[in-house]
Amino acid sequence: MPEIPEPDASHVSDENSAWVMQSLEAGQLSSARAQHYPRRPLKRSEAILFWGLRGYLLFMLGVVIYQVWTTAH
Amino acid sequence: MQLAKQVAAAPADAPASLSPTDAPRPAVTHEDMDRARDRERVSQARVRKGPFGNLRLLWLLVGPGILVMLGENDGPSMLSYAATGARYGIGFFLPFIILTFIMALVVQEMTVRLGAVTHRGHAELIYDRFGPFWGRFSMIDLMMGNFLTLITEFIAIRAGLGFFGIPPWAAVLGTLGVLYVALMTHRYWTWERITLAAAMFNLIFVPVALLAHPQWGAIGHALVRWSPLPGGVNKDMVLILLADIGATVTPWMLFFQQSATADKGLTPRDIGFGFADTILGALLASTAAIATVIAAAPLFAHHMSAANFEAGQFAEALEPFIGRWGSALFALGMFEAGMVACITISTSSAYAFGEVSRKPHSLNLPMSQGKAFYGVLFLEAVAASGLVLIPGLPLVSVVLVVNVIAVLAMPPALIFLYMLVNDREIMGDQTSPLWANVLAAMVVVLLVGAGILYGISVVAPNLFALL
Repeated sequence: MPEIPEPDASHVSDENSAWVMQSLEAGQLSSARAQHYPRRPLKRSEAILFWGLRGYLLFMLGVVIYQVWTTAH
Repeated sequence: MQLAKQVAAAPADAPASLSPTDAPRPAVTHEDMDRARDRERVSQARVRKGPFGNLRLLWLLVGPGILVMLGENDGPSMLSYAATGARYGIGFFLPFIILTFIMALVVQEMTVRLGAVTHRGHAELIYDRFGPFWGRFSMIDLMMGNFLTLITEFIAIRAGLGFFGIPPWAAVLGTLGVLYVALMTHRYWTWERITLAAAMFNLIFVPVALLAHPQWGAIGHALVRWSPLPGGVNKDMVLILLADIGATVTPWMLFFQQSATADKGLTPRDIGFGFADTILGALLASTAAIATVIAAAPLFAHHMSAANFEAGQFAEALEPFIGRWGSALFALGMFEAGMVACITISTSSAYAFGEVSRKPHSLNLPMSQGKAFYGVLFLEAVAASGLVLIPGLPLVSVVLVVNVIAVLAMPPALIFLYMLVNDREIMGDQTSPLWANVLAAMVVVLLVGAGILYGISVVAPNLFALL
């Protein structure tokens, strides 16, 4: 079985770099995070759903605050 | 070509016209080395045939699923289960708790799929695909929920250790010390194994339940018939119902498991093992949850009011029924539940912060490269721990309110998850299967329904009298 190299915090050698590139998928490299997925345009129905659920959450948080207030009094 | 592969294949700062042969080799970091070592072990285990090969693979690939499920068996959750047993005994809530874990399993499987295919965290994908406007909303939900939940973890820690006469300041400092030690490994694998070992102590509630001499016939009856439900449907029952759902299905779990799956380095080939990991976690966590209900059931049988019990008071009240050892184990279990959740929840906040601020975010990072990541993780825990030392804070109310808020915040979080996991541009042919989509839709409907029921119970409690 191939030997697994020990990491060195200060330096990653060319040899180890090649080994890392072989072991990981391209998207797993930390440098891949600099690439972003493009924005996905929202359909009208999706925007309505998002806003509806946001409204639901805000309203229900109001209910929680009301319950805390009535319990405290 | 699937968008995930296109995004991953492009070098970080390569101009668009660069051909693949001219492209500079991507910079490889210490974090990549650590992850590659873990992946190399998985590759070596895959070569081994037979049951031992599969067991070795399972051992290497489990982690995020068990951690998220046992992490969610946290202080307020165990307190909710104890309150359930004390107020309703062994009946309707036993199978209901199993149902909540099935709900959790359905949605958590989606996070494994997303993390393994995209190698990105949940917050990052929401920002990228839906834009910063909706991303900020989801971050506010997460950060607010996490901070409130962390406060309740320290409440459980304080109460659990208080049973042994340990003063609150010492309990808080000791827990922060454990959190610091777990982080100082700077290695995902080591952190995961330390936290997994600590999380296994959640099963301490099983011997406590056995000490309560449960009636197995009543347990069997409850699991099959979903009854009895003393008092029927009323305001208190709805609050417990919501608290028990919030004890199993919460937004931080989505963010944590997807980010941990990506940090661990799982790939599409590992999705099956990731699901097995989540099933294993759900089995362990539901066992501990049901054990807690059974352990507290003697309080119901002896008509003892537990309306405002904290964790330590539950342990003291149970002493006549389960003995000194039993109550000590119960208090220890509350401490453990709070401590493990403190680690996992603060980690989910740090992952999400790093993902949206585009700062390095991995438990494989050395301190010099991950100051912001480790800083957020630790400072959030310190701030929450400080609050529970304030005298006179209504701790029990905070615990119940936190679980309710978690349930209310779930539907918007689940819609983001549902849309991401069915996004062909980033998932390719790994989108969620139809059965999972149907079950996820049912979970959303159930959560919204439970929220509306709660709203009615608060605004118009008299309506329940008509049922």
